Amino acid sequence: MKTFNRNVLSAAVGAAILSLGGLAQAEDTIKIAVAGPITGPVAQYGDMQMSGAKMAVEQINAKGGVNGKKLEAVLMDDVCEPKQAVAVANQIVNQKIKYVVGHLCSGSTQPASKLYEEEGILMITPAATNPAITQQGYKMVFRTIGTDDQQGPTAGRYIATKVKPKKLAIIHDKQQYGEGIAKEVDKTVKAAGIKPVLFEGISKGQTDFSALITKMKKEGVDFVYYGGYHPELGLLLRQSKEQGFDAKYMGPEGVGNKDISAIAGPASEGLLVTLPADFSTDPANAALVKAFKDQKQDPSGPFVMPAYAGVQVITDAITGAKTEDPIKLAEYIRKNSFQTPIGKVAFRENGDLKEFEFVIFEWHADATKTPVK
Amino acid sequence: MSNFSILEFIQQIINGLTLGSIYALIAIGYTMVYGIIGMINFAHGEIYMIGAYVGLLVITVLGLVGVDSISLILLATLAISILVTGSYGWTVERLAYRPLRGSPRLVPLISAIGVSIFLQNYVQLGQGARDVSMQPVLTGGWRFGSEDGFQVYLSYMQVLIAAITVAFMASLTLFISRSRMGRACRACSEDRAMANLLGIDTDRVISLTFVLGATLAAVAGVLVSMYYGLVNPFIGFIAGLKAFTAAVLGGIGSIPGAMLGGIVLGLAESFASAYLQTEYKDVVAFALLILVLLVRPTGLLGRPDVEKV
Repeated sequence: MKTFNRNVLSAAVGAAILSLGGLAQAEDTIKIAVAGPITGPVAQYGDMQMSGAKMAVEQINAKGGVNGKKLEAVLMDDVCEPKQAVAVANQIVNQKIKYVVGHLCSGSTQPASKLYEEEGILMITPAATNPAITQQGYKMVFRTIGTDDQQGPTAGRYIATKVKPKKLAIIHDKQQYGEGIAKEVDKTVKAAGIKPVLFEGISKGQTDFSALITKMKKEGVDFVYYGGYHPELGLLLRQSKEQGFDAKYMGPEGVGNKDISAIAGPASEGLLVTLPADFSTDPANAALVKAFKDQKQDPSGPFVMPAYAGVQVITDAITGAKTEDPIKLAEYIRKNSFQTPIGKVAFRENGDLKEFEFVIFEWHADATKTPVK
Repeated sequence: MSNFSILEFIQQIINGLTLGSIYALIAIGYTMVYGIIGMINFAHGEIYMIGAYVGLLVITVLGLVGVDSISLILLATLAISILVTGSYGWTVERLAYRPLRGSPRLVPLISAIGVSIFLQNYVQLGQGARDVSMQPVLTGGWRFGSEDGFQVYLSYMQVLIAAITVAFMASLTLFISRSRMGRACRACSEDRAMANLLGIDTDRVISLTFVLGATLAAVAGVLVSMYYGLVNPFIGFIAGLKAFTAAVLGGIGSIPGAMLGGIVLGLAESFASAYLQTEYKDVVAFALLILVLLVRPTGLLGRPDVEKV
């Protein structure tokens, strides 16, 4: 037994030395971890994030890289699970990667951000919108997307001024993201004098919503705001149509992807969604959009351009500040502004964008969307 | 909430019965295995998940080929799913539990959890980790009654779920109570060592139990893919947990108990969602379980069987 232990120990030490050697060799590249869901129920969004970040890395490398070094994107799968996100964050720390573009879900971004702050790793999330993430007083955490306290009020104001529903229901999935945004909408409509008749949480992964739908139908609800992601809303829409409950639905950017139409089919027609403006229609991005289309990738997803911008802010900062030290870069990012595909971006002291606009889209059964005035 | 409406109440019963039928179908698999070998088959939820995947695949393929008769789709899907899922049930027993027969009780339990993790990842590798969805095959239904614009809606699919559940449960009950093999099952459940001495091939009975449980799980899986149209490799976990609860609620080891437990659980969730908050539906379901176990430790229809516990 004793010799066995010693063998294991020496093997472990050997492996550790080998991996150190590996790191030492890799010094001529700059690694950026791209962390998000590659598998799991919301992997659709991970695709957007990964394709945006990979495109940025490719294009920057094609222009000669950063300070003569090549960029390398290291993809990490957190499945949008808080536990897995912490494991991924630890991996990033152990691999001595100094920059992260991610994570995607607010629930997994928050626990991971704590590690990055402690370890002095620069993190830019292109997708997590929960306000709490930038309210922790952290210095290393930024985002290239708006927040729920911008998105929620946009939706809430639209409901209060344009829709004016007789009976409003607000449903959420009890997750940090979904419930957070539902509360923001609730606050905004209440301030405008509309009191929702229902404010309830369903469970992540729930498939049967018939009891809830019956209840809303009985209450005469004519407008439903849903805070959460598309798998649950897709089923909710489909079962509503089936039961003959014909209220209009609205949701945040977490529901706005093609899968919602795959799940809900015709029931997804007319769904309202708040999304970041569609940067792929901006004429300034024409060349970039063409590059995406050449690779048969869709640049119109809400997180594609923010992920591109995340990588670009990091590399522009490295060039501008003439250092690779993440802590100095964080200071530089706070003081300067950057020209990216999502426009000219500048950050507040807490890491949020100074300006970010959410737009309301109407979703169609064929998974396309049109902006609503 | 506003005042009570009898129509809403009826609608919630319909909702609860539909959900409960699915729970009951899965719960039977847990209860039968426990009744015969005194072990909780924690891989049963995954067997159901495989049934749902096979169901969805077959329906999609039939749709592509252009078959549009509902009864044909249903029969073909059920047959294929039962066949495939049944053989998974049989294989799992053969590979993961039979070699451990006679070992301490904890060992097959760990093996079951291992099988569950294996199957989840196996399907994930084969089919991808993402949601697979499909449009409803059978739509439409009856509407009746009217009260302030509220109508009760009973969909064809809900009727189908109830009908198929009743049909399979009735056949299972007949099989257990009348057939020769059923009698062997009951004998094994009472005393396996004695049944063995009397010349019953207990290994065969145990295999049969797993196949029967998997059959009903396959039926539940097919119904779920037709009704909800969304499957992923993780649906087995929650469904398994709920069905296990239903089995314990009804009295684990008792087949009518599993049926009753499933229905009670479905109704409890539905009513909690309707008259309290949707958040509380699981709280109510599990509170009910605790209450029942406090008053009747063997569950609603369980036998006070001391040596098994």
